[in-house]
Amino acid sequence: MLNKIQNLNYLLIFLVILISFIGAAGLYSAAGGSYSPWASRHLIRLLVFIFLAIVLALINIKYIYQFAYIFFVLSLLLLLSVELIGVFGKGATRWINLFGFSIQPSELIKITIILALARFYHDLKFDEIKRIKNLFFPILILFLPFALVVIQPDLGTALSIAMLGILILFASGIRIWKFVLGFFVLILSIPLSLNSLQPYQKDRIFSFLNPEADALGRGYQLIQSKIALGSGGLTGKGFLEGSQAYLQYLPEKQTDFIFTLIGEEFGFIGTMFIILLFLLLISVCFYISIKSNHIFGRILSIGVGSNLFIYVIMNISMVSGLMPVVGIPLPLVSYGGSAMLAIIISIGLVLNAELNGNLKKLYNA
Amino acid sequence: MFYSDDKKQYSVLNRRTFLLYLLKVSFFGIVGWRLYNIQIKNSQKYKTLSKNNQIDIEIIYPVRGKIYDTNNQVLASNIKVFDVYIIPENTNNINKSLNKLNQIIKIDFSDRRKIIDLSKQVRKFEKIKVLENINWSELEKIEANKLNIEGIFISQDYMRTYHFDNIVSHLIGYTNKPNREEVELPFIANMPNLEIGKDGIEKSFNPNLIGKSGQREIEVNSYGRVIREISRQDSQKGNDIQITIDLRIQQYALNLLKEHKAGSAVLMDINNGNILCMASTPSYNPNKIIQKPNKEYWDSILENELSPLTYRCIQGLYAPGSTFKMVVAIAGLVHGIIDTNTKHFCSGKINLGDRLYHCWKNNGHGGMNVSNAIKESCDVFFYEISKKIGIDKIARVAEDFGLGKIYDLPLPNQKKGIIPSRDWKKKKYDESWYPGETLISAIGQGFVLTNPLQLAVMTSIIASNGKNIKPNIIKQNNEIEFNKLEKYQDAIKIIKSSMFKVVNESKGTAYNSRSESAPFAGKTGTSQVRRITVAERESEDFRKKEVEWKKRDHALFVGYMPVENPKYAVSVVIEHGGSGASTAAPIAKEIFQFTKNLEI
Repeated sequence: MLNKIQNLNYLLIFLVILISFIGAAGLYSAAGGSYSPWASRHLIRLLVFIFLAIVLALINIKYIYQFAYIFFVLSLLLLLSVELIGVFGKGATRWINLFGFSIQPSELIKITIILALARFYHDLKFDEIKRIKNLFFPILILFLPFALVVIQPDLGTALSIAMLGILILFASGIRIWKFVLGFFVLILSIPLSLNSLQPYQKDRIFSFLNPEADALGRGYQLIQSKIALGSGGLTGKGFLEGSQAYLQYLPEKQTDFIFTLIGEEFGFIGTMFIILLFLLLISVCFYISIKSNHIFGRILSIGVGSNLFIYVIMNISMVSGLMPVVGIPLPLVSYGGSAMLAIIISIGLVLNAELNGNLKKLYNA
Repeated sequence: MFYSDDKKQYSVLNRRTFLLYLLKVSFFGIVGWRLYNIQIKNSQKYKTLSKNNQIDIEIIYPVRGKIYDTNNQVLASNIKVFDVYIIPENTNNINKSLNKLNQIIKIDFSDRRKIIDLSKQVRKFEKIKVLENINWSELEKIEANKLNIEGIFISQDYMRTYHFDNIVSHLIGYTNKPNREEVELPFIANMPNLEIGKDGIEKSFNPNLIGKSGQREIEVNSYGRVIREISRQDSQKGNDIQITIDLRIQQYALNLLKEHKAGSAVLMDINNGNILCMASTPSYNPNKIIQKPNKEYWDSILENELSPLTYRCIQGLYAPGSTFKMVVAIAGLVHGIIDTNTKHFCSGKINLGDRLYHCWKNNGHGGMNVSNAIKESCDVFFYEISKKIGIDKIARVAEDFGLGKIYDLPLPNQKKGIIPSRDWKKKKYDESWYPGETLISAIGQGFVLTNPLQLAVMTSIIASNGKNIKPNIIKQNNEIEFNKLEKYQDAIKIIKSSMFKVVNESKGTAYNSRSESAPFAGKTGTSQVRRITVAERESEDFRKKEVEWKKRDHALFVGYMPVENPKYAVSVVIEHGGSGASTAAPIAKEIFQFTKNLEI
C-alpha cells in the first residue's frame, strides 16, 4: 500500500492541481475578485475529487476490470432516467439528483464508455479484432449513450461521445478501411436522422450550427469572445483587469467562456501556457498507455487522454470561432461539478493503470 | 486470454498510439495558430473594436403634436402615463417579482409567461415592459412597495389622448403601433416603437405631427451596459395642427344625428371652403382603441353591422335623389333646352318605350315649370327635360358642381361615387346607354352615387353663384379666392330662387322646416334603396307605411343660409330615414339656427 502511494505518478497529480488552480484564479476574476460563488467551491471540489482519485488509484485493477460493464450499464440507466424525467414531467433536463448532488450523467458516461471499450478489447484476441461481428458490441456501447444525448438535445456532448468512440476504436487497432466506410455511413445517415427529429429539436440544432443568425444570443457571445481574446494581446490586460471582470453580462463566463476571460487577462502567453499544460497532461496519459503491459490499461489511458483532448480542442475552437458554440466546458478550469468529477476520476483510473501496468496476469492479480 | 504477449498486437497498438498522438499535437497546433492570429496578429484590430464597442447611441422619442379645432380647442394631445419595467439582472427571481407585482395589479398569466420568456432572450440589463399606462392610484401602490419588489423600474411616457371621445373620431383618427409595412415609412426612421397615426388627420399628417427624434450618446462596456452619458440631443416636439372644424357645431350636429341609427351632416363655410362640421354616426371612441387591452372594444366595433369605422361624410355613397335635380335643371337652362316658362304636364307618370316612369306623387302635379318642379320636386318634369338634354351634358354639369370627384383633402379613403355617362357605362359594363337610364339618373337614382361632402360642395357652389369652391379642412391664415364659373350665373339665379321656395313657400317640400330666426333655402331628397313593386304603388300611401328599417328610403337635404349672400352650406343624410322632408330637413334647420346663434 505504502509502496503504491510512493509510486503514484505525481506529475499527473501536479498537472491536475495546477490547471485547476488556474481555473480557480479565472473564476475568482469572473466573480469580480471574489472567492464566492465559484472559486471557493471549485477548490473544495478539487480537494475532494483528488482524494477520491487517489483512493481509486490504489484499488486493485481487477475490480475495475470486473465492474467495467456494470459501471457502464449503471451510468446508462442514469442517463436514461434523465430522459424519462424529461419526458414525464419537469421538461428537458441534463441533470439528475443523486444523494443530494446534482449530477450530469452525460459527463460520467464518457468515462464508463472508456472502461467498457477497454475491457472489450482486452478480452478480444488480436486475430478476432478484424472480424466484422466484433464491431457490433463496441458500436452498441457508443450508440446507446450517443442517441440518448442527441435527443436531450445536447449536440456538443453527443459529438464528443462520437469522437471519443472513433479515437478509441482507432487506437484499438481496427482496420483503417472500416473507418472510411463508417465515415460514409455517418454522412449518409445525417439527413435521415434529421428527418426523424421533432421540429423544435431541429431548430435547436440549426441554431447551434448557425450562431450568426442569433446575433444577440450565442452569435453575440462569439463576437465578444473574439474581441476579448484579441484585445488581450501578447501579455493580457492583467489579472482582474479584463473588462469581463466587472461586466456582469456574459452568461457563461464562469463555464464555457472561462478561457476567453483568461485570454483577455493573461494574453497569448496565458493561453499558450494552458494549452501546453493540457498537451503535457495528455502526453503523460499516452506515455502511461505505451508503458502498460495489458490492453485494458492501454485503452483506458488512451481513452482518458483522448477524452481530455476532445474537451480542450472543442472548447478552445468554440471560443475562438473555429467551431459553432455548442456548450462544452474547459476541463478543470470551467466551473461545474459533474465534468470536474468525471475528469479527475478518469485521471484516477490512469494513475491506477500505471501502478498496475506491469502486471503479468490481470485476472489473477 | 487475459494476458496477451502477442508482439504483433503491441506493435500495431504502438503505431496507432503514435499516430493518434501526432493527430492531437497537430490539433493543438491548429488551435495555437488560431489563438496566435487572434491575440497577436489581429490584436490591434480587436483592441480598437473593444474601444469602439464602448459608445452607443440611444434614440429619444419625440412628443407628438397636438390637434386643435378652429377656436383653439384642444382635440388631441398627450398625457403623461407611467410604464412599469423589470430589469432581469436586478432581481434574483423574476417570477417572484412578477408575482409580487401581480398582488398589486393583476397581470395576465400569459403576459407573465411572455415577460419571462423575453427575459431569457434579451441581455440581462435591458428593461422589459411589464405594465403600460398605469393610473395614479396604481402608481402610488407600486411606489410604496417598490423596495419589496426586486428589479422593478417605473418610467414616464406619453400617451395620446382624445379630449372629446367620439365627437371628431372619424376625422382625427387614432394612433397605434406601426405594422410591418409602416415601419419602413421614412418618417418613422429609427423609431420602431413609435405610435403613429392610423386614420384620418393623424394618419395624413404623420410626418408633421411626429416631430424629430433626439439621441443620447452613451458609453457602454463591450457587452452593451450603460456606464455614462456622453452627449444628449433632445427630441423635437411634433408640429401642432389646427383644423377648420368648429367643435361646438360638430358636437351639436352629432347629438342631432344620434337620434338616428346612421347618418351624416356636413357644414361648410361658403366664403373659404372651410369645413366647419363633418359629423358621422355611429362613431367610435379612439381612447378605447388606444388603451390596451382593446380587443373587446375592437371586436364590438368590427361586429357592429352599422360599421362605426366608416366615415360616412366621405366614405358613404348614396343615390342623391332629388338633390340632384338642381344639376339637371342647370344643364337644361345652360343648354337652352328649357327656360323659366317651359312647362310640362305631370300626370303622375310617363311612358318611355314599354315602361312606365312614376312621379313620387301618384296623382301628378299638373302643369309644372322649372321653379315649381324644384319646389315640389316633380319627377315627371325632370324625366321630360332629361330626354332632351341627354346624360352626357348632365354629367358634365354635375362634375363642374363638384360631384364624382375626390377632393384634395388630407383624409384617407375618400369614396369617389359615380356620375354616369355613355363613356362611363361603355367602359364599366361594355354596354350602350339606354334612354330609360337617363330618366332615372335625372332624379338622382340609378347609377348616380355621391357622398355627403360632395353634396355640400355642390350646394356651396350653387349658393356662391358658381364659385369653384374647394373644401378645406386645415385652417389657413391667408384668404382663399375661388374663380367663378361664369357660364352658370343666370341658371344658378333661377335655381336659387326655386330652392328658396322649397323651404319658404307653402307646397314647398321642406315648408314644414322653415325657420324664422335663420331663414334658409334648400332641397330635399329621398333616395330609394330598392325598387318599388307595382302592388305597393297601387296601395294608396305606401310611403307612409311602417316598413322594415333597412328597406326604408334614405333621407337627404342640402341647403344654404342666409338666403341673401349665403355663408353656410349644409348636407344632411339620414340612412333609411324615410323622406328628406320629414327627417333630414329638420336637422338642417337646427344646425343652421345653432350656427347663426354662435355668430351673435
